Amino acid sequence: MVLHLPEADQKILDNKSLIVKELNRFTCNVLSDNDELRPYETDGLNVYKQKPLAVVLPENTKEVSEILKYCYQHNIKVVPRGAGTGLSGGSLPLKDCVLMSMGKFNKILEKDFKNRCVVTQPGVTNLAITQAVQDQGYYYAPDPSSQLACSIGGNIAENSGGVHSLKYGTTTNNVLGVEIVLIDGTILRIGGKHLDSEGYDLLGVFMGSEGLLGVVTEATVKILKKPEAVRAVLIGFNSIEDAGSCVSDVISKGIVPAGMEIMDKPLIIATENYAKAGYPRDVEALLIVEIDGTASEVEAMIQKVLDIAKMNKASYNKASNSDEERMKFWKGRKAAFSACGVISPDYICMDGSIPRNKLADVLGYINQLSKKYNLRVANCFHAGDGNLHPLIMFDSNDPKELKKAEDFGADILKYCVKVGGVLSGEHGIGVEKRELMCEMFNNNDIQQQLSLKKAFDKKNLLNPGKVYPILHRCAEEGRIHIHKGKTKFPDLPRF
Amino acid sequence: MNDIYSPVNEKEVSDFIYECHKDSSPIEIIGNNSKKIGRVIQCSKTLCLENINGIIEYFPEELYIKVKAGTSLEEIENTLDSKNQTFGFEPMDLGFLYEGKSRGGTIGGVVACNLSGPRRFKIGALRDHLLGFKAINGSGEQIKSGGTVVKNVTGYDLSKLVSGSYGTLCALTEVTLKVLPKYEYQETFCIYGLTHNEAINFFSTAMDTSLEISGACFYPADNTGFFRLNDVKQNNSILSLRVEGPKTSVQERIQQLRKIFVASDYSVLDIFQSKAFWNLSKNLELFKNINEIVCKLSLPITNASEFLSKFSNDIKYFIDWAGGLIWLSTKDIETISKMRIFSVKNNGHLTIYKSDDNYRRTEEFLTCGDTNFKILSSKIKKSFDPNLILNPGKMYAGI
Repeated sequence: MVLHLPEADQKILDNKSLIVKELNRFTCNVLSDNDELRPYETDGLNVYKQKPLAVVLPENTKEVSEILKYCYQHNIKVVPRGAGTGLSGGSLPLKDCVLMSMGKFNKILEKDFKNRCVVTQPGVTNLAITQAVQDQGYYYAPDPSSQLACSIGGNIAENSGGVHSLKYGTTTNNVLGVEIVLIDGTILRIGGKHLDSEGYDLLGVFMGSEGLLGVVTEATVKILKKPEAVRAVLIGFNSIEDAGSCVSDVISKGIVPAGMEIMDKPLIIATENYAKAGYPRDVEALLIVEIDGTASEVEAMIQKVLDIAKMNKASYNKASNSDEERMKFWKGRKAAFSACGVISPDYICMDGSIPRNKLADVLGYINQLSKKYNLRVANCFHAGDGNLHPLIMFDSNDPKELKKAEDFGADILKYCVKVGGVLSGEHGIGVEKRELMCEMFNNNDIQQQLSLKKAFDKKNLLNPGKVYPILHRCAEEGRIHIHKGKTKFPDLPRF
Repeated sequence: MNDIYSPVNEKEVSDFIYECHKDSSPIEIIGNNSKKIGRVIQCSKTLCLENINGIIEYFPEELYIKVKAGTSLEEIENTLDSKNQTFGFEPMDLGFLYEGKSRGGTIGGVVACNLSGPRRFKIGALRDHLLGFKAINGSGEQIKSGGTVVKNVTGYDLSKLVSGSYGTLCALTEVTLKVLPKYEYQETFCIYGLTHNEAINFFSTAMDTSLEISGACFYPADNTGFFRLNDVKQNNSILSLRVEGPKTSVQERIQQLRKIFVASDYSVLDIFQSKAFWNLSKNLELFKNINEIVCKLSLPITNASEFLSKFSNDIKYFIDWAGGLIWLSTKDIETISKMRIFSVKNNGHLTIYKSDDNYRRTEEFLTCGDTNFKILSSKIKKSFDPNLILNPGKMYAGI
């Protein structure tokens, strides 16, 4: 698959052996042989592959700073990488880049229950934070489905969410401070164990910046006390419209569930065959609602949700009566990706956000597209916050199918924008969706973002080619031609 | 006072800023001029955004409201109220601080100052509730960021950056904010007679439960007279814990607090008194009509005791955010200087909210101890406003 990435600098490629030698001055973990580079050639979006010039695995902030400073001085591009689970290709290497893997930053530095936070290195996995504090009854709220493998640094880069972000927010709402290193080697500490920092909210703008503004070397994250009681309920509907309107009603009645997920029939069947979670097979849509709080509050809310479901013509319901049963309800949902992997040789997982009341509309459109492209699709939504994940199934042995699947995905995202949504809810733009940015933003908007990037990285060396469209005629330099305010960069290389 | 220009639409704002940008002519941006906050700046022109007002769209079931930036906070809150909704971040009405009476100002001003009330430690600050915005940058260009949905990773999150940027990056013309259903019920559990050290320990105990406390403040004994509520005992320090939610759940949780703090002298405020209590506290009525320098100090909870041991005799104060925030006032400039040093050393952030114009002109508004942070801030300012014409010097001298 051809993907347009920033042109490789031949001088850098020619100087590989010298650069590798120099990098060895700063850290003893430099990989440069072809075989050593292979594990780093792709991330969670594995349809694209590219080996970097070299891989460095620094072990402390000083090494990160020295490496970045060296690369900055010698105009070498740097691509940061966490656990490599990202789904938008945010850490796809460039041929002439130094890939900086943060894998050796794998220690939790401090558990501070008095300030209710954990200070951690960025390579620690999301789940490991919860595991480190759960004996004291605490947990870290964002829970992306890759939480077993994905790192906190990567979560920060993509502002990851998960099934519980409806009530507890995404990464940006749960990180109190970071230490970052800018491309010129400057080390900055932003935020900390306190709540509000004065001055520009650099912490906020850093969250979800996809590795374009700096490299995280430490994070202070908020931990929460586990709720007293948690229950989940499975609700089946004979139409996706009914499920969608049930979601809207629950929210507008003032209930804020901890999680609220919809799965469509193809996904119900696929996950049920795979994980045997006990889902009903005869419904068109399945809603999982999880409520937490005090025991009596949870009881009352579950009853309210069931009443609302009944008004929306629910055909099936089952509430969990134990934690095991609740975990079983989630087992199917959390196995969604694996289940699709079994029924199809390949799939791509899309990610868009839409207003809640457009769920049925968008799903209807996705089904039309499925027929048009003749590709199967299964859908799961973080319905409470309008975040959808269609899984488009295809066979990569047929080169035409990947192209079809990508066009299918792009059509879905364009429609998300059309109904008032956005291109990404939690996976980020990466290389996957960057050409679609012009669907959402006009030239002024993008130029403003690019000029902010320059404030952090004036040579555009840190993770270039991601998030923003790569334009012939140098959009980065502000010379895009706009015709009647409508042109959407017609000369873009499309992939 | 210089000439005030009050455009009525985005295009006029854009044209005006574009002209000023060409001449490098500095502009002070105001809403309805309700907040005397930030450094005093010298500008030949004033841009008033009060007439860019009105509610653009409000979908209660989608939990957001999109409004023009000059819309008054009061109008928006009334609109939300009619649908039994509210802003989760509890915007502060600083009118009491500056003028001794209510004056909430415009929503643009609230966003520009990132003003968040007592619920902040539980539910996030204003910046966590700003979903998107439109604005005119310092070159006169219309820009936008974000959207109307809560989950959004589509380019840099500029909403965070403009929250609390005091109008130095762009002139906001439209903001979209997340709204929440109002809590059905609330009560407040008050404990009396604690020292500030005991209070901070009690906060810890309360927060180490699953009771979902949504307000936690402490007033020392001589600072409680202004509450004048039937069930608030006078002449004693008060530690207050607010519990919100469905009525039965609130009452259950209050019962649990009774059990935890059984040995203490306490009272419970019913829903009406509880609401009144937190409104008085949120709007800084402790400092109403006071002729002193008023500051906000955000710092790690574990440093609050040390701070108060050092300074409590020289200041009037109360603690909010379960120990994470201290609001204080003093007449003594020397004390402020010492507190700034303490704050920088202990990773705290001290912001001057009210002072006389002379102090605002000559002294720092924010306390920034990190040169690299300041250098980057300066570059960010230029990336939005290359000729430094929007509220120049309002946050830091020279930025």
